[in-house]
Amino acid sequence: MRSEREISTSAVTRRGFLKRVGATAGTAALASAVSLPFVSTALAQVKTLKILQWSHFVPQYDKWFDGFAAEWGKKNGVTVTVDHIPHLELPARAAAEVSAGAGHDIFAFNGSGGPHLYEKHVADLGSLVSEVEKKHGKVHQIGRQIAYNEDTKVWSALPAYYISFPGLYRKDLWDEIGMKPDTWEDIHVGGAKLKAKGAPIGIALGHSVDPNLSYRSMLWSYGASECDQTGKRVTINSKETLEVVKLVRAIYKDAMEPEVLSWDDASNNRYLASGRGSWIHNPISAYRSIQKATPELADKIYVWKTPAGPIRRLACGAPNSYVVWRFARNKDTAIEFLRYWTDNWVAAFEASTGYNHPLFENLVPKPMPILSNDPTSHPADKLQVLETADEWHATYGYPGPAGPASDEVADNFIVVDMMAKAATDKATPEEAVAWAQKEIELIYKKWSAA
Amino acid sequence: MSAIAEAAAPRRPPRSRFTTFDRLEVLGPLFIIPAILYVVVLVGLPFLLALYYSVSAYSIFNPSWTFVGLKNFREVIDSEIFRRTLANTLIFTISAQIIGLLLGKIGAMLLMQEFPGRRLARALIVLPWAVPVSLATLAWVWMFDSLYSVINWTLVAAGLIDPAHRPQWLGQEDLAMIAVVTVHAWRLFPFGVVIFLAGFTSVPQDVLDAATIDGAGFWRRNYQIILPIIAPIIMIALIFGTVFTFTDLSVVYLLTKGGPINSTQVLGTLAFQVGILSGDVAHGAAICLFLFPFLLVAVILLLRSLRRREI
Repeated sequence: MRSEREISTSAVTRRGFLKRVGATAGTAALASAVSLPFVSTALAQVKTLKILQWSHFVPQYDKWFDGFAAEWGKKNGVTVTVDHIPHLELPARAAAEVSAGAGHDIFAFNGSGGPHLYEKHVADLGSLVSEVEKKHGKVHQIGRQIAYNEDTKVWSALPAYYISFPGLYRKDLWDEIGMKPDTWEDIHVGGAKLKAKGAPIGIALGHSVDPNLSYRSMLWSYGASECDQTGKRVTINSKETLEVVKLVRAIYKDAMEPEVLSWDDASNNRYLASGRGSWIHNPISAYRSIQKATPELADKIYVWKTPAGPIRRLACGAPNSYVVWRFARNKDTAIEFLRYWTDNWVAAFEASTGYNHPLFENLVPKPMPILSNDPTSHPADKLQVLETADEWHATYGYPGPAGPASDEVADNFIVVDMMAKAATDKATPEEAVAWAQKEIELIYKKWSAA
Repeated sequence: MSAIAEAAAPRRPPRSRFTTFDRLEVLGPLFIIPAILYVVVLVGLPFLLALYYSVSAYSIFNPSWTFVGLKNFREVIDSEIFRRTLANTLIFTISAQIIGLLLGKIGAMLLMQEFPGRRLARALIVLPWAVPVSLATLAWVWMFDSLYSVINWTLVAAGLIDPAHRPQWLGQEDLAMIAVVTVHAWRLFPFGVVIFLAGFTSVPQDVLDAATIDGAGFWRRNYQIILPIIAPIIMIALIFGTVFTFTDLSVVYLLTKGGPINSTQVLGTLAFQVGILSGDVAHGAAICLFLFPFLLVAVILLLRSLRRREI
């Protein structure tokens, strides 16, 4: 048993505690300061590569990519870290990394915004793009839109892929009415007939990414656009736009349900999966999910090109690109990895089950794997129509280049709201178009001065 | 050594037990410095930075510090989207405050009563406040879902609505605003309960007893005795609640992203869209700063009213 005195001397006093903590902290700081040169030298010998990209809608693509990157790292003595975050978190993360001047070496952008906005913070990948073009063919026009600045002649990103926007439709239901959803007019007429039979079509009209892409597709097919070829003059207030707005209003009233006003990006997938929907404008991820959950329903779902308008058939694809930050610690390693990834693009394409579309002419030679013959689809050539997707896709900013202004118009859902205002009779089509012209002009004007 | 010898041994004069750290004039500032540093570094400096951003041409595309005066504010006001957003923010804030505090008062009054499981009920009622906002809001997203809404399902099952005309909670402009206000009021409600509970316990029982003997009924006791006594506490709750709601981004962003047709757009979400998603930091800061005069006026009014009551 310890004496009273022993107990009192061993008790923790405030002063004693402070002294001990101070001494410990001092020793720790001194030790790390002394060892720092050795540790940092040791660390410098281990090459690292940090990649950030979105959590892909096809989870097996992420699995493939992680393994692919790790294997490349093993071969080249590089420790590779791949982080995945939800796509909606990418812009905030990019802003944070640029503000801090630290983060990942390679950053994958998805959707509007990205390479053009961050041009002054990223490495020019012009030489990598030229190299890839020599090896795998010319970059598609949509690839130039995604990553090339026509004014500064800078490739601020490597065009990675685009996500196509075809129409997914219930063939059994459309056959019943003797139609195929080939044009936007078909969508209106056929959609109205199918709504009467309890199977409306669905295009979201709320604040989400999908309607941004769908209504741009519709505008372009009718010869309308938010800006001209220079990307500087706002042209939304036109008779072509008015025609489209009136058509959207008619489609909303005759062929859709009001619930489209509340849809997010997954709602139309759920709608088709519920068995109620007869047509949606969406990437094939919706079809892939239904294949897993309800194979018998998936067999009834077919894929066809984005509907055509009187002028052309053109869909707005979702852009994806890789940038290498200027502050990246291992720029050369990052570029080396991207080169290797591009050289293995067929494997990447297969891992995405045909979801990621190539942006260089010969990256995936035709007949394309999976799309030309998908053993999981019945019939196996169900997705074949997507082999020509590059012929009927552009992206934000069309017919001009994409840029911060076209991205902000998308971020603020102005085109979608223009359609929604007219569809719900909150404004006449003319008022809705005039409203959009004013709001878009404000955005283009401010960015032209930037 | 024996105790007697120890006692007889000459003692060294005892060292003073008081050191520098025991002096109030040293210890006081020492303890307050972290709080001051926190406010200066994480509130003061960002605020000053936002002030400068709002009068500059700064964007992620062109990180230029060029001074542009009030141009950004003029351009922001020119936008119909912004004007609608400002109105929405006021509606959102005031409605959520009124509903949240009203429910808080009712909840607190119920929880003052004796009933079995009262302690558990008190613990459970704090849940909406304790659950991370993102998780809670995602649960509400599903409750308001266009296809699988449990609210609509219940209303249909109870025969209250026609299944063919189910309300689109996040798709109709008025319903969408009701939805975001409901979720925010639901989050504020536990805060209101706690504040009112604290207030109720501070009301002297003898005052209430005297009033009851004098013939004051439930409403008179409530509005002429209890409420005036606990008013200072309610004012504090109102200040906190107003600031939390006015600056909130998460509920609206997760539920509607400001849609449909900007009917639920609030200053926080618009500033995020413009400043972060679109990289236009200067205009984003200008939008954010519109929060400041409103909050300043609200806080001054509330504090003045509080001081008057104390006098």
